[in-house]
Amino acid sequence: MSVAPAPTIESVPEFLVHALELEHESAERYRLLAETMAVHHNVEVADLFRRMADMSDAHASEVIARAEGLLLPEIAPWDFKWSCPGSPEVSCLDEEDVSYLMTPHQALLLALHNEIRGRDFYAHVASSSPSVKVRAIAGEMAEEEGEHVDLLKDWIAEQGPADEAPTDLDPPNMPE
Amino acid sequence: MDNPDLPNLTDPGGACVAITGSGGSGALTAGLILLAAVAKAGRYGLLTRSAGPQIRGGESAAMVRFGPRPLTCMGDRFDLLVGLDWNNLKRFVDELPLDARSLILTDTQGGPVPEVLIQTGASVRELPLKSIADRVSGGRLNMVALGALGALTGLPLGALEQGARDTIGTKGGAVLEGSLACIQAGYQSILSGEADAAAAPAPPIDVERWNISGNEAAGLGALRGGVRFVAAYPITPASEMLEWLAPRLELVGGSLLQAEDELASVNMIIGASFGGVPALTATSGPGLSLMMEGLGLAVASETPVVVANVQRGGPSTGIPTKSEQSDLDIALHGFHGDAPHLVLAALSIPDCVFTFQWGVRLAEHLQTTAIVLSDQSLGQSRAIVDPPPRFDDALQRRVELSPGADYRRYEVTADGVSPMTLPGTAAGMYTADGLEHGPEGTPSSKAQDHDAQLAKRLSKLQGFDYGPHWGEVRGTGSNCLLTWGSSAGAAFEAAERLSAGGTPTRAIALRLLAPLPRRDLMQALDGTTAILVVEQNQAGQLFHYLNGERALPPWARSLARPGPLPFRPGEIVQAYLEGM
Amino acid sequence: MAAVIEAVPSPTLRAKDYKSEVSPVWCPGCGHFAVLSAVTKALAYLKLPKEDVAVISGIGCSSRLPAYIEGYGFHGVHGRALAVASGLKAARPELTVLVAGGDGDGFSIGGNHFLHACRRNMDMTYIVMDNEVYGMTKGQASPTTQPDWERSKLTPHGTGIRRFQPPAIALAAGASFIARGFAGDPNGLTKLIVDAIRHPGFAFVHVLSPCPTFRPEHREWKHQVHLCRFGPTDNPAQAAQLMQEDDGMALGVLYAQRLPIWQPANHATASPADFDQEFRI
Repeated sequence: MSVAPAPTIESVPEFLVHALELEHESAERYRLLAETMAVHHNVEVADLFRRMADMSDAHASEVIARAEGLLLPEIAPWDFKWSCPGSPEVSCLDEEDVSYLMTPHQALLLALHNEIRGRDFYAHVASSSPSVKVRAIAGEMAEEEGEHVDLLKDWIAEQGPADEAPTDLDPPNMPE
Repeated sequence: MDNPDLPNLTDPGGACVAITGSGGSGALTAGLILLAAVAKAGRYGLLTRSAGPQIRGGESAAMVRFGPRPLTCMGDRFDLLVGLDWNNLKRFVDELPLDARSLILTDTQGGPVPEVLIQTGASVRELPLKSIADRVSGGRLNMVALGALGALTGLPLGALEQGARDTIGTKGGAVLEGSLACIQAGYQSILSGEADAAAAPAPPIDVERWNISGNEAAGLGALRGGVRFVAAYPITPASEMLEWLAPRLELVGGSLLQAEDELASVNMIIGASFGGVPALTATSGPGLSLMMEGLGLAVASETPVVVANVQRGGPSTGIPTKSEQSDLDIALHGFHGDAPHLVLAALSIPDCVFTFQWGVRLAEHLQTTAIVLSDQSLGQSRAIVDPPPRFDDALQRRVELSPGADYRRYEVTADGVSPMTLPGTAAGMYTADGLEHGPEGTPSSKAQDHDAQLAKRLSKLQGFDYGPHWGEVRGTGSNCLLTWGSSAGAAFEAAERLSAGGTPTRAIALRLLAPLPRRDLMQALDGTTAILVVEQNQAGQLFHYLNGERALPPWARSLARPGPLPFRPGEIVQAYLEGM
Repeated sequence: MAAVIEAVPSPTLRAKDYKSEVSPVWCPGCGHFAVLSAVTKALAYLKLPKEDVAVISGIGCSSRLPAYIEGYGFHGVHGRALAVASGLKAARPELTVLVAGGDGDGFSIGGNHFLHACRRNMDMTYIVMDNEVYGMTKGQASPTTQPDWERSKLTPHGTGIRRFQPPAIALAAGASFIARGFAGDPNGLTKLIVDAIRHPGFAFVHVLSPCPTFRPEHREWKHQVHLCRFGPTDNPAQAAQLMQEDDGMALGVLYAQRLPIWQPANHATASPADFDQEFRI
């Protein structure tokens, strides 16, 4: 998707709406992934995504705390100033990485990819916004995201070497 | 009158006349005026017709039976046949039985009467119909013939004139004036010298009578039942029902959507009904075949819908312009899976009003598919009848307006009917499904859910008390004629004739066919020693159905023959007596 | 969880409030998840009361959508969703009617209804999730599958038949709003769906929605889609030309036009008793 460089974020309320949207979308996406993994009985990965969802919810609460007393603008989903078609932590590219047979290692790689993009979004705002305050908050949040990224990298390391995803020997079903 | 044996209006059996012609000669118009005149003379009447395959200008025959009693079938024979011309009469000869007591009226310049008619032994009378017509400005031969026919059967001239005004009055002054003049001239040509009869006006009638066709009656019944949405695809012989409904639905706040095919029609009425609006479609055999999957969806999702099936000759394209009762099998058994539903059949033209209204109310209350069977002989025939009685009932769709937190759309209730929420009601939202489902509507393949929902959909129908309208029973006696739908007319008349002739006969006509009112039927059959099941199809569809349901004793017999010819009372009487 | 911040005018319903409690059974990675997300976002953005939304579908993976949306739904038979929706809309015009289905449901068995729904131009939104395969029945070719796709046992040499061009057909059949979206661009898709719902008339949204199970090669789509270079136009001749030249991967509103809508008024001025009169002698 070739898109022109995103316009800059100008105000703290605008930034916080973006951050909130980012975390909410992330939580909802992880929750949906957890649900579908549970439906397909990939219990370990389902749990993992649920934890990621909870983490995103926690981040969202932090953003809300920062926003107390502020009047937040309503922004239509397509008017957000991301630099990629979806919100940064909801990769538009995750189809190729998601499968009912995915291993926890693969799930963590997916989450890592998304957290990095989230961190990069905040970092980008921290360096490009014309507002000093925005740059400051964005910088803080970029650092926090950086910590989450490191945490994930640790988890991945704990997982050990990547396993091969198992193959499913059964043929597909015809439910209807 | 020339022929002293020709019956007139007061004869209890009434008179049976036919008018045939071709190429725009106006046989049908004459028939319509005759029917209206009969009504003005205070009599009952029945008009059926036949036509060739041409869109216009083809052969045409109008058959009218009239008399002092309500008429629900054609007689055994025709007293009078008026030939406006004799082109290709062969097409109708089977439908116009004449004998030595019949009279054929022909134009002096009309060419020879076909040999096949002469051979019946009927007398022939020639009249200068065309020359009389030519002497009148805007004169038409069919109107002269109509006048002559009226005089021969003792209709007051005033009644004919009023009938003409009612029927063609809107066609403009010159057409009407010319027609009236011709009617008078034709009348005079018979009664020249009997000026009193000519001058006698129609006696005022103090009873209310209706002039209505079966398709119109069905439409009226549907509207009375609450139908406010129709989606349909035109098909012979149902189209007139749709044409009658279209503007009137709009007036009562509904609509008719002309669909692209029958597959769309049935699904559209499901959609409207899902939205809370009673909905109906009308079709014939080929369309009903197409609709089967959709009707099953209505059953499975418990969405009320009504299909009016105006039967015609089958199978496949069959005989579109002729009547038959051969769609009973598909109406009963056309669904895949176990799909209990309602099947009803109108017994006469006025009964179309009741049966369609009842069908709509039952479908609404029981949340299921109702197939209401009519046929071409009812749908496209007109009759002079007593006003159909108003029928008010408490049957309503069970709608849940304030669903609680525990609301489940397909809850298994005591009577099997679960209240339905309608789009627009906050709370109680659900997704209707053709897939088998649990009580909350979620698709399920579990045995427990399938059993429970199948049982629900069956018990709600079988446990319902349909009351006395399941059928009509007339007469008493140990002999019995058993039938359904439009054959009721001929069967009732045959039973009367048998009883009068020393064979006490009761006649039973089924209006509710599914679920079969087995107990009521067996009660009505109690005391019979001979039963003849009469139906207008080749395979004996009702006979086999009743046997399958063990509703008939083993000695019951079947008189099953296909269309296109209607049952005549004499035919049934003869078949019954031969079998004794 | 809504952004509950005091004294702030924020939407009371988020997209996930429009999602029902039923877990989708689509394969992980299925593009339909993004469509579900976009639909719920669109409904939330438009602040439509849930009970006034009806989602109608046929049979297929795409057609499972209604159960996953908190509103009224009808999961009907294969290919007939547009008919059910048309009857519902005719009788209940105040409802927002969405129709969902796939390429088989919509363009094969449902083809005739698709043509006439475009013509009839009732006010509803038709979302077709096109994954160029029959997923529910284990992967047969659909009318939008390339002629040389040989992975179906039913057509082992490929169908050998040229593909349907859904937007071109919709245009020729008289549709008044034609758009193409991509599951990989959920926010763009959300906008298209909002526009489609707002459009007065029949709005057709053709969504490229990858099937990871039977068409893994669809992962290339994200490299192939591009914004539509011309749209939206309201000139049907121009649109026809451009759609014929379309590579099938152009995203956006391709055509939008105001055309007469078919919708009965449903306004009563009489009752059935008034018709007795016309039969009286």
